[in-house]
Formats: sequence, structure tokens, C-alpha cells
Amino acid sequence: MRSHPLFSPWFSLAPALTIVTVLLGASLVYGVAQSLGLMSVIGQDTLSLDAYRNLFTGQGMAGREFWGSLAFSLWVSIASTLISSALALLVAVWLSERRGSGGAENLALNWNLAFPHLVWSVALLLFLSQSGLLARWAAAAGIIQTPADFPVLVRDRYGIGITLHYVSKEIPFLALIILAVLRTQPAGYDLVAENLGASRWQRLRYVTLPQVAPALLSGALLVFAFIFSSYEVPALLGVNYPRMLPALALRFFNDPDLRSRADGMAISLVITVIVLIVAAVSLKKGEQK
Amino acid sequence: MTQVNLVSLTKRYPNQPAPVLKDFSLSVENGEMVALLGPSGSGKSTLLKLITGIERPDAGDVQFDGVSILNMPSNKRGAVFMFQKSYLFPFLSVAENIGFGLKVQGASAETIRTEVTHMLELIGLPGMEKRKPAQLSGGEQQRVALARALVTRPKLLLLDEPLSSLDTEVRLNLQEAIRSIQRELGITTILVTHDLGEAMAMSYRMALLLNGEIVALDKPENLFHRPRSLAAAKFMGVSTFLTGDQAWGRQEAGVESCKKLYAIRPEHIRIQKEACKNSMPGVVSDCIFRGEYVEYQVAVSEMTVRAQMPMPAPMFPHGEQVHVRFPAEHLFEVENRV
Amino acid sequence: MKNPLPPPSPERTPGRNSPIFKNQKWGKGQNFEQNNTTPPLKIRSLDFWGRLGGGLRFGLYFVLAAPLLLFILYAFSNRWFFPQPFPVEWTSAALVRTLSDTRVLAGLLDSLGIAAIVSLLSLALGFPAARVLGLRQFRGRQIAWLVLFLPTVVPPLAIGMGLNILFLQTGLAGTFLGVVLAHLIPTLPYVIFTLAGAYARYDENFEFQSLVLGASPVRTFLTVTLRLIAPSLVVAALFAFLISWSQYLLTLLIGSGRIITLPILLFSAASGGNPVTIAVLSLIFLAPPVLVIAITARHLRGGEIREQY
Repeated sequence: MRSHPLFSPWFSLAPALTIVTVLLGASLVYGVAQSLGLMSVIGQDTLSLDAYRNLFTGQGMAGREFWGSLAFSLWVSIASTLISSALALLVAVWLSERRGSGGAENLALNWNLAFPHLVWSVALLLFLSQSGLLARWAAAAGIIQTPADFPVLVRDRYGIGITLHYVSKEIPFLALIILAVLRTQPAGYDLVAENLGASRWQRLRYVTLPQVAPALLSGALLVFAFIFSSYEVPALLGVNYPRMLPALALRFFNDPDLRSRADGMAISLVITVIVLIVAAVSLKKGEQK
Repeated sequence: MTQVNLVSLTKRYPNQPAPVLKDFSLSVENGEMVALLGPSGSGKSTLLKLITGIERPDAGDVQFDGVSILNMPSNKRGAVFMFQKSYLFPFLSVAENIGFGLKVQGASAETIRTEVTHMLELIGLPGMEKRKPAQLSGGEQQRVALARALVTRPKLLLLDEPLSSLDTEVRLNLQEAIRSIQRELGITTILVTHDLGEAMAMSYRMALLLNGEIVALDKPENLFHRPRSLAAAKFMGVSTFLTGDQAWGRQEAGVESCKKLYAIRPEHIRIQKEACKNSMPGVVSDCIFRGEYVEYQVAVSEMTVRAQMPMPAPMFPHGEQVHVRFPAEHLFEVENRV
Repeated sequence: MKNPLPPPSPERTPGRNSPIFKNQKWGKGQNFEQNNTTPPLKIRSLDFWGRLGGGLRFGLYFVLAAPLLLFILYAFSNRWFFPQPFPVEWTSAALVRTLSDTRVLAGLLDSLGIAAIVSLLSLALGFPAARVLGLRQFRGRQIAWLVLFLPTVVPPLAIGMGLNILFLQTGLAGTFLGVVLAHLIPTLPYVIFTLAGAYARYDENFEFQSLVLGASPVRTFLTVTLRLIAPSLVVAALFAFLISWSQYLLTLLIGSGRIITLPILLFSAASGGNPVTIAVLSLIFLAPPVLVIAITARHLRGGEIREQY
């Protein structure tokens, strides 16, 4: 530990801290202000909880859709998180059992992680839309006749496309987290369990799962938070009704009627609060070892 | 080639209640090698950081040849470090590592080349200029680290347990090498170690460090045979402390209350079957064959006496009744203080 | 002077009656493998797992490599309609046409420029912060860490909306500088935490060695510190670039329609419907990520890439 009487660590931290505090802080302050009705643009400067009241009581254009969108968002987020967590666990366990072949799999997982979400959605669109590649294959195989025969998998009302997207993108992310935990644990535990007679399933349930549970839970919560607050994917792969919450927020924020901006802002702040709570829980879980 | 004075150095770290070093003073003569012995955490490494200027003391002074260097930056002091890890720059070759100190001081390429070659010969690794540190063994890395330190003709060489991570045989080789190089070049050196054997083999004087203070400072032979205090004696491997009465063979209760004690080294205690004048009876609790000598643990009244006798020596089984004798010529006085 | 360990005395080996063995049911011949526990699922054949494993592996590789192939298929196809399973005619006309489109070129240049500047800026700002966070203990470290961590949890949606208002008022909305500043918000924490992690594994003693050997602090920094931390610096810079490159929402909200980057073009093309154009744009858009992964594949452990995009 170096004692530098002249340079307090805060000197080095100052530039980064300033940028983050100013930009983040100001944006949040302005955002909250706007959601509370303080918009100098249209000369309104009285505090009003109208936006929030409308949302929660279902009044006004935004309010009518709010609860529906919230439910839809929760449904997609939870489903995607659960499915990808379960599958990620299987993938990770399977990968960790193959000794010495980590290179190719590692590369493949990292490749997936670096793939931007936007492009991944686009790929899904091209692949799964009713005139997409899969549909063409199905038609060539004689399973369907026209594009309309192909099931609606993207831009659908149930969020199937969105869920498929997130599941395929988050499995590698969660799998890597689990793998990181598994690699730091001595392989001995699994061997000992096998030696004592446990089957693969039992080992998974009684040995592997407890080991990775904190990290997996923490990662899953982060995934949930991300999905819940993400805009691009539902905007591209979803429809106008039902909308996921972020899409709803932006729709009202960009509305020509400036009063709707407060509604849009309020929705996005509701999202933020939920995400912050989930993230906080995730951090707490992550710290448990 | 410097005389070093450490004057009343005190250093406290923010998170710790007690100071790591308190009023620490030591003088090292020109060309001398002094060993600092002590358990981990006794402040040895901190001391070296203070001397090189990487940390500043809260109080006290560091003087080279009588001049305070406290305000001199680290890179100008001429006090060079060797750590437990070699810290050879992994992105430089062996030659570039050794020549580093010369290069940053602006020496010509010609000079550097000559010095490096000379150094490599000195440490017994000729021809290894182009190798990378990762290709060297632990012992070789430490030798290169030594060369890197010495090539700058430092005023002071500081060794912070440089050999403790090496295998025994390599360590012994390197001990000899460092010792002979140090004497040949006459570089003032401070060696920090927790290994008693290493300190005794290499140093002119040894200082025992406990809790940031020196409890004994003397030549190795003196400290080994005649440590003056209880703490010093224990450090030197003495475990038998006797009151006056016990020394002369009269049983007595424990030693805690006596101010003056007698101590004796394990090698001088005699274990024998027969009683004799001044011997005390005891029961053997363990008897361990150690190759060149036999180690005994004998329960005598309330103490456990640990003794060593050179081979050939009798092996007594557990439970045997024996007698313990403390030859008077090997008893020495020890103060009952820490 | 090595002394071999004495052989264990007979009492030390666990005997038949010791508690270790008590719970085993001993069948005939004392076979340790036989025990009374039956797994709840009757699936025990290795065959099932082997087939599942093989299927999973194929699925994994397929899912991961497919998008690129998909785009290539569409991008170079000519007059490919439903229900042809594969394009029969190939052409690079679409690629050429798209690359000559001024809007695409402008978007490409904007994206490149913004990402490059953001990457360098976040390195410059983040490096000192990371060093201090990774190496030092000081009061308030947790708070600093938390503040710098916040941008990764607060949704870009809320940040972008609020920033939109702020920038409107300060005249930064729709400007290059505004977008650069906005992109810093997700990239800075990422760079800082990557580098802080590298610094936590860093050993300052290398610098001490350099100093005591006579090198000045500046020289030590340039010769030793940078060389030792270089791989992490490169990875952090490249991924900062990628984060900025992939930003959609922030650019949308801050650019206010005046700064058009590649993702924005891609998004509007994808909403439109011509698959060939979409595929071409996607390929162009994918070029840097592919390059970055190719370059950094050796250094990655997987923990670096976070949920940033």
C-alpha cells in the first residue's frame, strides 16, 4: 500500500465520478420532474401526481394500457428468465463435464454474448417470420402451402418471439456464470457424490445446484431486470397490443401531445424502480457465498 | 558501500491499533550484512519499504552515510530490493531485465552489454541473455533478480525473504552464492528472513524482531549460544528454562516467578539411564530418530524437557525411566523478560 | 536430515466397527457399490444422456453460428422468394448498392466515429478510477463503487428520456457531442470494472522494483505498468467500442433524428421488410463485433462481457 500524501484517490476518481454523477443524476432528476408534471416546455410548473395516478387507476390513454402491459412484461420476463436459467444449468453442467474441450465452447459462448441484441432479433425475424427461412423450408418440405399457414412466432400477441430471443441470448450468459462457479469448485464434490452412489440427476440436484444457486440466482435476477427494462427487442419483435412496458413508455414519451410525455416518463420510472429493487436483491444474493 | 542508520522509526497503518514499527533503531556498518529475524507481521517488510522510500515513516529518520534520505524519492536512493518473488519483468528478456537499472540511468548500450555478461557469469548463468523469465526455474529467476539488483552498484541491498519459496537444495546453493557475492563486492546488506539457519549462515550480525521492536542484536554465534532474554532464547530454539534449584538437580515448582533463569540448549542436555550428581529423574514421552541425532522428550516434574544427543545415542522407548542432566558448563543466564 | 513419518499406530486405522462404516448396508461379499438408494427418476441409461448431449451440442453450435449464415444467405441472394428453401441466384449487387447509399455511409461513419471517441474517452476517464478502485483501500470506496455501478442497473430507457430533456435544455440534443456523452454512461462503468478487476490481480511490486532500480515514476508507468496491464486495456477498449457501436435507444433518444447511426438504420429497415436490405445492413453492422471477438478470443474468460447490449 503506497502512501501518497499528495494524491488522494479521489483525484483519480474525480473525472469518471463527475461524468457519471452529472449525467446520471441530472437525467434522473429531470425525468422525475417531468413525470411529476414540471415541464417548462409547455409552461407547466406545478407538481402533479396525475401521471402516476392515471397509470395506477387505469385512466387516460396510458393508464388504460398500463396494467395490461405490466402483466405482459412480467409474463415474458419471468418466463424467459426461468426457461433460460433451467436450460443454462443443463448446458453448463454438460459443458463442465467435458474436460479439456473448453476452448471451442468458450469461444462459441463468447461469440453469442458479443452479438448485439438488435441483430439477434433481426436474425430471428428473418428466420421465423411467416415468409422467413423456416417457413420457406417448411413449404419446400410440403408442410405448409402459403406464408399464412406458418404459425405466427414473431410479432405475435403472446410474446413468443420475444421469449425465444431472450432465451437464446441469455442461456450463454447464465451458463458462463454457472461455469465460472463450477470451475472454482474442486471437481471432487461431483466425483465423491458419484462414488457414493448418486445418479446424474441426484448429483445435479443435491451437489451442483446448491453450489451454483447463489450465482445463478443473482444472474437470473439481473437477466430479469434487463429483459423487463429493454426496449429494442420488444419494439422489433412485438406488436402494438399488448406492448411490453418500455415500448409503451416510449410510445407516450414521443407522443405529439406533450402532456403524454409525463405519462411516458412515469412508466419508465416505474420500470426503473422495479429494476432497482430486483438488482439490489440480486447483489445481496451475489454476495452470499 | 554505505553506512546505514535507522533512527527511531515508527510506522502505523490506518486500520491497525498498534504501530507496526515503534522506535526502531539500527545501524549497519559499511559492507556489513545484518539479518532481521522475526515471525510474520513483525514489521520486517514494512521496514524495508521505509528504507526504500515506498512508504514514509510517521516518525524517525533513515540515513545513508550520516545524511538523511527521507525526502529523496525512491528511484534516487540506491537501495535495491529483492523479494520472495523475482518480479522479473515478464515482457523483457533476461539481459534486458538485468540491464534495466543501467538503462534507466542512461548508460550506453556498450556498457550495459558488458555489465550484463559479467553479471551472468557471476551468478553462474552464462549465455542466458535471450531467455524469457517464464522459461527459467525458480532458483534461476532469483539469481537473475539478484544480478538485476547488483548491476546498479547499489548503496544498500535489501533482501526480503528471497529464498523462502525455493526448494531446499536450490535454497542452500543460493545462500552460498549470495553470501560469497556479498562479501566479494562488499555491499551493505539487510536480510529479512524467518529462517534461523539462513540468518545465521549469511549474516555478520542478527537482530531479532518481535512486535516491531528489536529484542536482541548480536553476532550469530553469540545469539545462538548465549541469548540474553527469554524471547531471544525461545527464538533460538531453546525450550528448557530452569530456576537455580532445578539447574542443580533439586526439584521445584515452575519458573514463572523467577527473575533470573538458567537456560541450556537442547544439544547439551544429557539423557541417561543412571542417576548421578545433579541429575533429575524423568519419564520418556517420545524419542525420535532424526538421522544425525536423536531427539528426546522427557517429562521431568512438570516440565517437558526437549533434548538432542548425537548419534550414536540410545533410543529409549515411551515410558522409560531415565535421568536428565544439565552440565553446568553449558548453563547460561537468561533474563525473564520478553 | 529428513525424518520419515513414523508409521501409524494400530489404533489409528478405522476399524470395522467405527462409525464411518456403520451406515453402509453390507450385501453379500461386502460390495461397496450396492446400496439401497434408488434415484427418483427411472432414467438411468447412458444412452439417453449421450443422445441428449449430442443433440444439445449440435443445437448449441447451430444456434450460435446460424445467424451469420442466415444473413449471408439473404444478403447475397437474388430474387429469392417463398417457397424456395435456398436462393438459386446469387449477387453482390445489394451489398454494393447499400454501401453506396449516402445515408448508410453517413451512418457507418457516424457509428465508427462515435464509437472510437467513446472508447478512447472512457479509457482515459476510467483508467485512473479503475487503478484506484482496484488497488487501494480507502474510506468511501464502497460508495464510489456503487455510484459508478449505478448506470449498469438503471434502465437506459429512463436515462435516455431524462437525458433527452436535459440535453434539449442545454442545446446538446441532436449533436454529436451529446450522443458521445450519452454513450459514455454505459461504457464507463464497464471499462472501470474490467480494469479494476485487472488491477485487483495486479502486483504493485513490479513497479516498486522498477523504482528502486532507478526509473522515474513516469518511466515506470510507461515501461512497466502499461506493459503489464496492456491486455486488459485492449479488451476494455474494444468492448467499450462495441457497446457504443450497438447502442440504439440512447442514440435514438439523444440524437433526436439528427444523428443517425447504423443500428438506427438497421432498426428502421427491419421494420420495413425487405429481407435483402436487412441482411446486408446486418452484415455491415456485425463486422466490428466479429472482428473484436476474433481478436480478443484468446484473452476472454467470458466474465468480461456483461449485459450491456
